[in-house]
Amino acid sequence: MEDAVLVDSLVKRFGSVNAVDDISFNVQRGEIFGILGPNGAGKTTTLEIIEGLQSPTQGSVSVLGMDIRRQGAQIKARIGVQLQSAAYFDYLSLHEILALLGTFYPKSVRPPELLDQVDLAGQAKMRLNQLSGGQKQRFTIAASLVNSPELVILDEPTTGLDPLARRNIWGLIRQIHQQDVTIVLTTHYMEEAQNLCQRLAIMDQGRLVAVDTPANLISRLGAAYSVKVVLAHPLTDAQIAAFDAGVEVVQGQFQDQNTYLLRLNDHSKSLGPVLDQISKNGAGLEHMEVTPVTLEDVFLELTGKELVD
Amino acid sequence: MVALTLANLKMMSRNRQAAFWALFFPLLLVVVFGLFDIDGVGPGGLSVLDLSGSPVSHQIREDLEAINLLTVGEFGDGEAQARSAVASGDLDYLLMIPLGIDDPDKLRDPDSRLAVKLVYGSGNPGRNQLVDGTVRSVVARVLAEMPGVPYLGLVESQVVESEEVAVAQVSYFDGVLMGLVGLGIMTNSIISIAVRISTYRNSSILKRLLVTPLPIWKYFVGEVAAHVVLALIQAALILAVGVFVFGARIQGNLPGNLLGIFAIVALGSMVFLNIGFIVSAWSRTPAAASGMGNAIALPMMFFAGTFFSTAALPWVLPYAAQALPLTPMLLAMREVANAGQPLWTTWPQLAILAGWALATGVAATRVFKFN
Repeated sequence: MEDAVLVDSLVKRFGSVNAVDDISFNVQRGEIFGILGPNGAGKTTTLEIIEGLQSPTQGSVSVLGMDIRRQGAQIKARIGVQLQSAAYFDYLSLHEILALLGTFYPKSVRPPELLDQVDLAGQAKMRLNQLSGGQKQRFTIAASLVNSPELVILDEPTTGLDPLARRNIWGLIRQIHQQDVTIVLTTHYMEEAQNLCQRLAIMDQGRLVAVDTPANLISRLGAAYSVKVVLAHPLTDAQIAAFDAGVEVVQGQFQDQNTYLLRLNDHSKSLGPVLDQISKNGAGLEHMEVTPVTLEDVFLELTGKELVD
Repeated sequence: MVALTLANLKMMSRNRQAAFWALFFPLLLVVVFGLFDIDGVGPGGLSVLDLSGSPVSHQIREDLEAINLLTVGEFGDGEAQARSAVASGDLDYLLMIPLGIDDPDKLRDPDSRLAVKLVYGSGNPGRNQLVDGTVRSVVARVLAEMPGVPYLGLVESQVVESEEVAVAQVSYFDGVLMGLVGLGIMTNSIISIAVRISTYRNSSILKRLLVTPLPIWKYFVGEVAAHVVLALIQAALILAVGVFVFGARIQGNLPGNLLGIFAIVALGSMVFLNIGFIVSAWSRTPAAASGMGNAIALPMMFFAGTFFSTAALPWVLPYAAQALPLTPMLLAMREVANAGQPLWTTWPQLAILAGWALATGVAATRVFKFN
């Protein structure tokens, strides 16, 4: 079976800026594929090229086996799109908006079914501006399903939502996925990418820095734990050099100057000697956090920066 | 496409505030112009065709000249021409004084049927009534006071025969009403579509439509169709208020000419909608779209002769005004509604409008932006 999306050597240039800089990846049919990256990484531009909203400067993109340059209309009929912060008509009810959108497609799902699926059946006669943030987001997802698409593209589906509403949307996305729909989504939330996506593309400044499953991306780091220590006094180079072979100082003296981020292969072996070193030299341990390595660490490793909301 | 048109109409009708003001503004002008009784206050022009040339006829004329309601003049080209001047609306009143009016015997003889004849057009019934009564009393008094003649005992109805000629009289208000229809359609079409599209663009609604397989032309047709329907409703309302409240008249064969007006309105509104699409492409915000739309519509309103003739414009402006799309629209509407001509006689104006529709349509699709 062909890929749901195949992106090959894609470049999008705006003036002298490469918004998308020679990226290639594929999305397999039936998977939830995430594109992770900070604002301005080129995620939305990449999606908009796949959706047919923008044309590529170079490279090729095929969606459901069709070329985006030549078969744009056929592609649009078979995919569903949720844009980042797209509004809908003010003076139509939810039911009426879905019914109208349905007339644009060769086949469409009845509005009550769609609203039921996103748990908005009771709001059918309401207008969009009467809904809460989470309800609005669920509605825009329902609107992307109006043509019963094979591929759904969601651009930051949970941005700006509270944690509860966010989890609610994750449940909805999984539910759509269970109906054999391929899903491509962008996010800048690590937790979302790790929990929801089967495979991930990490983008930074228009470039693709890695594509893999979340588990593989994490195991690539070769570390199991991340340790953050806050000290009373800074460590000297000699003290750092004296750490075990299994300890790597990823970031030194950041935030309030005496905070260090260490990565450990195995905390049962390495953590004790690290603490010994710190106390032996009188650095004064004020605070310590030990966590399993997450995508956050992967991102830091790959791009040299932290993802911030 | 039909669904989109219906949805558009639904949205317009639910946006009550916008719908109200769109309809209210031109109606307000209709009321303002309707309240000024521009035609009623002016004096009527009366020409005397004096076949008698006697002191009596001179006296009648002199007495009539003293009446403010009338501007008295001479009509020297014979009865036939004078009557046709009345019939065409060029002359308000014609007074024919027959030979022998100063002869008491003839006046007294019922067989001679000697009488002063007053001919007027049907256009201004209120003034006609006043003038008719005034002329009768003036003539009766002059004849009763003929020097050296005993009192004849004539009554007014015997000495003056009046005759009303059906005249397609077009008042200033009738003409202005067409101007107001054109103005309403123009401003509403340009500004409403420009603001709407600009709003849709800013809130990414256009972008959302673009990710569906809906062909762009269908989207345009849906918008234009809904707005043309709105324009027709607006025109019908303005005409209804003008005719039923302020007594404007629409000439010619009514169903046919009324349909003709609506056909011109539909064609004109397409031109202005296209201009609205172009404006929306140039403006970044709905407020800018509104301002730009007004900047186009308001000067055009004056240059196209909505309220008064453009002949008084200096330099090449009267010719330039001919090139504006509102000018042929108003000309055609006035030909049909005021001159009572059938729609097809306005083909030169319709051709110019169709040319505008085509040119602005092409321009709109070229410059239109979704993002």
